[in-house]
Amino acid sequence: MKTSWLSCLMLVLAACVFAADEGHWAVPRTPDGQPDLQGTWSNATNRPFERPKQLGAKEFYTEQEAAELAKKGFIGDRGGPQEVHYDFSQYGMDANQARFAPNLRTSIVVGPEGRVPPMIPEAMKRNADLAAKAKGHDLDGPENRGLTERCLIYGQQEGPPMLPPMYNFNMEIVEEPGYVAILNEMYHDVRLIPLDGSPHLAEDIRQWRGDSRGHWEGDTLVVDTTNFTDKTRFRGSSEHLHVVERFTRTTPKTILYQFTVDDPHTWAKPWSGELVMGPSNGEIYEFACHEGNYGMMDNLSGARAEERRAAEANQK
Amino acid sequence: MLRQLAVTFVFALAASGQAQSTRPARTADGKPNLNGIWQALNTANWDLEGHAAQPGQVVAMGAIGATPPGLSVVESGKIPYLPAAAAKKKENYANRVKLDPEVKCYLPGVPRATYMPFPFQIVQSQKRIMIAYQYAGAERIINMGAPTKAPDLFWMGWSNGHWEGDTLVVDVASQNDQTWFDRAGDFHSDALHVVERYTPITADALMYEATIDDPKTFSRPWKISMPLYRHLENNAQLLEFKCVEFVEELIYGHLRKKPAQ
Repeated sequence: MKTSWLSCLMLVLAACVFAADEGHWAVPRTPDGQPDLQGTWSNATNRPFERPKQLGAKEFYTEQEAAELAKKGFIGDRGGPQEVHYDFSQYGMDANQARFAPNLRTSIVVGPEGRVPPMIPEAMKRNADLAAKAKGHDLDGPENRGLTERCLIYGQQEGPPMLPPMYNFNMEIVEEPGYVAILNEMYHDVRLIPLDGSPHLAEDIRQWRGDSRGHWEGDTLVVDTTNFTDKTRFRGSSEHLHVVERFTRTTPKTILYQFTVDDPHTWAKPWSGELVMGPSNGEIYEFACHEGNYGMMDNLSGARAEERRAAEANQK
Repeated sequence: MLRQLAVTFVFALAASGQAQSTRPARTADGKPNLNGIWQALNTANWDLEGHAAQPGQVVAMGAIGATPPGLSVVESGKIPYLPAAAAKKKENYANRVKLDPEVKCYLPGVPRATYMPFPFQIVQSQKRIMIAYQYAGAERIINMGAPTKAPDLFWMGWSNGHWEGDTLVVDVASQNDQTWFDRAGDFHSDALHVVERYTPITADALMYEATIDDPKTFSRPWKISMPLYRHLENNAQLLEFKCVEFVEELIYGHLRKKPAQ
């Protein structure tokens, strides 16, 4: 009797140890039992979006290679306009001062190519037409400026998929039993992701950041987003853009962020990427983009002043 | 594994009958459950003080642009302006189409964000409460831990909260002086300090109170109060009201290469 009680206990203990060993560290839970992804997080990454061509099919660095690279400084992409007059050591734009979560991947885009697949002809034409219409008009009016400068959304990065902006790589996640909320500091935008299995919005309601629905698969939050506008144009996509994201807390200080993008009107096949998020250094601050948008005012009035100057010069 | 099954079972029970109004009254950590989508149902955003109906400022909008009538939400009826500030309020009112920051899709500040004519959603966890407003993507985080200080003045201020019994009390400091309280020109300085109270009164309504303190503008603190009603439709959802796009012509139209006719 005593012996079998003891072996029963041993079995239970062994099961506990086995369960703890299996895979990884146990994700903490919220009071209502959901995996806890909460906190302020940074998606700053020291990896370029697409794999440098010379790396070919190499998906991962070794620990040593990664350590060597870290010494070289920032090797990722700078999101946002490149021909700017900013001093990159100001405004938190010096990527060398950002802190990066450990990540052995060679690029954000995964797979043997590590590059976004080529566009299908329909998409190439659609984007070429847009570019042709825009050419020579880029300072005609506010609609000719990029979404980022217009303070509508942080173009190409705010997503989903959420990619690191040029600075302020911060987001905060708050959970309640029915929703996961993600606040992106750029541009003070909250994604409210219902977990109740409700269907997406009707087809005729389109949104800049689409419509997101989430559910848990084990400890992973899976978020499905559709209903984008045709103005969102993530990497030249159409309104048929469809994004699936996966958030998994892999250690106390990291969330593995994975995404798959598909748009049959843009790419022949879906493609995926991932990066590791680490803790953000403090609180989310208010980024009142539109309220302080001197950039738009100055760019347009500067262009008009140039035109007046040119017109006056011609008259002489 | 067993624990996961148990949690899933409990969650499935809670999730069944997912109409918004069957939310449990308390969260898992024992606090009043403020999660959900809420909206004020009054004309406070037009004018905090009592007001009869008024014609609109844009003739072409006809009745749609007219000011609806409403009773005062200010506890003493009138806002106690200092004399110089009272004069400024009158000037604001006379020029409200030009001066009201809402016209330009600017962030509304607190308490105005609460009674904008749009829903907002509360996402409540133990340490942080997030409020997302449909209007202009306005949002704020209420810190429920040890109070922290704002790094700077913000349009939406800096919010620290705590529970007093069943009331969520939020201290809002560090708002800049750029926002108005309503469309009638009621304004404040950067000395503004707001204390809000959110108290459940039924399963689907909260009583909202806000005490406004600004010695540069008002002769004493004053208070507003109003119910906030839960959105009960099963598919209630905040949608995007990214109004920046809608005000570009207004703000930048004069800088176009070819101004609109």
